[in-house]
Amino acid sequence: MVRFVKRSENLYLLDVTGYTCPYPVIYMRKAISKLKPGDVLEVVTDNPPSCENVPRAARDDGHEVLGVERVGDGVWKIVIKKRR
Amino acid sequence: MGVYMEKLKEVEKRGVVGFTEYVRRLVVARIFSEHGWPEWLGGILLGLINILFLAIALKPFTIYSGFLNWGQHFYTLLGLDWATGKPKAIPLADRTSVGDIGLLLGAFLAAIAAAEFRLKRIPLRDYLDAVIGGVLMSTGVVLAFGCNWGGFFSALTALSGHGFAMFVGLIIGGYFGSRYVEWKSMRLFEKALEEIELSPEASEAITNQRAIPRWFKFVLAVFLITAVTAMTWASGGPHYAAMLLLGVGVGVVLQRARFCFATAFRDLFRGAEQARAIRLQTGIALGIIVGATGAAALKYMGYIDPYIYIKPVSFMNILGGVLFGFGMAIAGGCASGSLWKAAEGNTGLLAALVTAVLAYPLLRPLRDSLVQNIPYAKIFLPDALGWMGALLVIYATMFAWILLVHYIAYRNRIDPWR
Repeated sequence: MVRFVKRSENLYLLDVTGYTCPYPVIYMRKAISKLKPGDVLEVVTDNPPSCENVPRAARDDGHEVLGVERVGDGVWKIVIKKRR
Repeated sequence: MGVYMEKLKEVEKRGVVGFTEYVRRLVVARIFSEHGWPEWLGGILLGLINILFLAIALKPFTIYSGFLNWGQHFYTLLGLDWATGKPKAIPLADRTSVGDIGLLLGAFLAAIAAAEFRLKRIPLRDYLDAVIGGVLMSTGVVLAFGCNWGGFFSALTALSGHGFAMFVGLIIGGYFGSRYVEWKSMRLFEKALEEIELSPEASEAITNQRAIPRWFKFVLAVFLITAVTAMTWASGGPHYAAMLLLGVGVGVVLQRARFCFATAFRDLFRGAEQARAIRLQTGIALGIIVGATGAAALKYMGYIDPYIYIKPVSFMNILGGVLFGFGMAIAGGCASGSLWKAAEGNTGLLAALVTAVLAYPLLRPLRDSLVQNIPYAKIFLPDALGWMGALLVIYATMFAWILLVHYIAYRNRIDPWR
């Protein structure tokens, strides 16, 4: 299941491990829509192509991608800052 | 990348010690980097391996007859071989099955080397889609005389007309698959993420997973490949061992280039992965151009029988392509896709793979009555157009396809190469 977690005041985590394309992008958009501008969302995925298409979709929507990093074997974290 | 190149130059200056470092960096930072290989390179490499496999196995690289072999072994064990037929050979002495086993092992090795192997559990509902997708794909293979390889990629490189029919079907089936996935995700979207948990440590819990050391898994994969190669050599001889290793090559290329036919046809017109779909379609077209050139040369020179792998074609092949295209879109991977994705730990595609292996031997006998009741024709392109004409038709269609998919990208305002 998708987990949507508030880690601190402006920091949220979206765990979409287990989901393949196109669901990580869809959940990322839904999660972002619930945040305030300036909030940061960490998307955790184990689907390698999502490391390309989640940041791409976030940029297309006008948000800032702060980074994509590998956090374990086959797991990546994409950090997005909501712009508008 | 700039910093990396400077380090490489610095390392090169240091001589012998630096050279091992150079090789290590080349392997880790390029071949097995998390960025993978470009899709066009993947396509060209698959075309080249296709030629080599044809020269050694005297048949093109395909997938589904291997599933037939595995399934028949299973049903024979259960005493149900009256329904499915008996297998012709053990899995290590069946040309298609050997390639499939190699593909699994190669993808496993590549996934481990790139630190992308992970046992992935998917939501329960998606297992159902994987199983339905597996059944639809097997039905499609019966009608289209092959999967994306036997019915399309390797069919066109073999200059057989049935490849074009399935190609049309795949485009239609992939489109309907994208509509289904869109519908499903809209429903999920409405219900999803209503609750927000409060837990500051959540991120650490996800990332701090205890894992088996990567070097150990890598050694295990190399050992497995060596052992299976030796067993194949012992049971089928050096030709079969070579086929296995070419299968390993296919697996490495598919995993590294993330060469997913399902994405290529599902997200072609719309969807979250349209940019990658367009790059994949370019890779597929280039692979067919390379493969067809080599296969035509082998056939023209009389090195292999020109009529190898010329399968019947009728409107049923288009229908088969539609079913297969829809099935792979909802399962998230086609036949080769379920092999390489299962090998990198995706349990959803493992379910699709097991379903296909179990369903295909039961459905396969339907093909015989189909061939008797429907007017099928076998079209070997050089018979109709001459050797040059056949190749020119393949080149022209594939170049036109590359232009068309890039026109789609242009109309959708996406830059697939960004």
